[in-house]
Amino acid sequence: MREELKELWRFRELLFTMVQRDLRIRYKNSVLGFFWSLLNPLITVIVMTLVFKSFLGNNTPNYSAYILASYLPYMFFQLCLLDSAQSILTNLPIIRKIYLPREVFPISSVISNFVHQCLALVVFFLYLLVVYAFDRRVFPLQAGAVLLPVLLLINLMLTMGLSFIVSALNTFYEDVKYIVSVLLYLMFFLCPIMYFSEAVYQKSMEKGGTMLYTLYHLNPVAMLSVAYRKLLLAPQPVEFRGKTYDPLPLDWGLLGVTALTSFLLLVGGYALFNRLKWRFVERP
Amino acid sequence: MTPAIEVHGLKKEFLLNTSGASSFKTMFLWRKTATHTHLEVLRGLDFTIPKGECAAVIGRNGAGKSTLLSLLARVYKPTKGEIKIHGRMAPLLELGAGFHPDLTGRENVFFNGIILGLTRAEMRARLDQIVQFAELEKHIDAPVRTYSSGMMARLGFSVAVHVDAEVLLVDEVLAVGDFEFERKCYAKIDEFRSAGGTILFVSHQMDAVRRVADRCLWLHKGLIRDDGPPEAIIREYELADAAPGVEPS
Repeated sequence: MREELKELWRFRELLFTMVQRDLRIRYKNSVLGFFWSLLNPLITVIVMTLVFKSFLGNNTPNYSAYILASYLPYMFFQLCLLDSAQSILTNLPIIRKIYLPREVFPISSVISNFVHQCLALVVFFLYLLVVYAFDRRVFPLQAGAVLLPVLLLINLMLTMGLSFIVSALNTFYEDVKYIVSVLLYLMFFLCPIMYFSEAVYQKSMEKGGTMLYTLYHLNPVAMLSVAYRKLLLAPQPVEFRGKTYDPLPLDWGLLGVTALTSFLLLVGGYALFNRLKWRFVERP
Repeated sequence: MTPAIEVHGLKKEFLLNTSGASSFKTMFLWRKTATHTHLEVLRGLDFTIPKGECAAVIGRNGAGKSTLLSLLARVYKPTKGEIKIHGRMAPLLELGAGFHPDLTGRENVFFNGIILGLTRAEMRARLDQIVQFAELEKHIDAPVRTYSSGMMARLGFSVAVHVDAEVLLVDEVLAVGDFEFERKCYAKIDEFRSAGGTILFVSHQMDAVRRVADRCLWLHKGLIRDDGPPEAIIREYELADAAPGVEPS
């Protein structure tokens, strides 16, 4: 792995140029450009807020911000996996003709999505400011936001590791990307995006312990969604089946488990990718 | 004599899928298991190309010429044996490979140069020179998808010869431009060689081999059948070609 990392470092200029190219191509033929990548989460959040506020009668102030805080990282995760699943296959004509470390393709799709994620987060904070101007109940900046880089790093490791695995396997079996998109769809419901993790806690206590709650948080994507929400936004009392519950603090131990899982996935994913990468061009 | 390319005991095998079980779906639905047959394309090559030499590889279709070039270009990994290339290598396995149709010529040149190992600053410095050589000043800011194949070929060649490579790998691509550009290509190749550059190229055009090569490798069924001065090897090759019934042992 050391050799591979050294080789990758030698090609850092290429990686930089590829990310630049990726960002440029993506919106080259569209008028709205970068706004397309914001439009999707914005529309989703508007619809969700509408449904929750009007039809389900949820009164949490600034509910849309809570959705957005979890949905943005989830969307980053989703886009990375879907993009990198295709990244080797679409670049096969290049790989067949010229040498370059194969991992630059999944890495550059993850990084360019990461750039979007960071821009989206900037817009997220601007949005909080605008909301604050009208509704003084939610202060836009929390002390926990200092730890945002740590969360982003964990998120990046997790996504990168899984992207390696998905892109390598999808090169041999194109079924992988369909399986991944189904799993991503299910994952959406297993993450606290449309609900609060406190609801999971109450349900878990009803079942007689914190086991379900712990199990739920062992899913690194769910854990990250919880962490983004708890670190970026003020704690909110949560309504669950008509009763109101106090917000729970962020469980650092479980976040540590996620950090470890993410790191192991990154190392394992890269190792798997390196084992398979020479067979990409000669797949039978 | 310092070697530029060293090849020792080079073998390459490919797996051929003979059952059609290429997806989970076919595997589950039809209970097929993927069966593969081994195809030995290169069966043990040994040769050394000294620095400054221009070697041509000739041989029938399927002899393993392109596989050899791809192995040298590090697109494939050898099944056995080893390859050493001393100095920066620029492969021209296909002109315009790696060009993205939606980007402009300029952006593509830039990107291609960086794949070949130059830094962004170095690439900026020689962009104009590359464009000028390719004679594409007027079209360089148009997307590459609007280019003709000749224009694409000129641009690809121009990038490859301007990246300060010491070893050039060329696969049957010189005969793409018009006569005038071909002349320019040969002039550039001569210039490249007098500067001490090494070339390994594959060709079916014996005229081209006679014109530039000073050594010829005849590849036959994955082995080097003969190796020597072009004139002698070509004569032998053409004789064998004219009498296809005579198979070498």
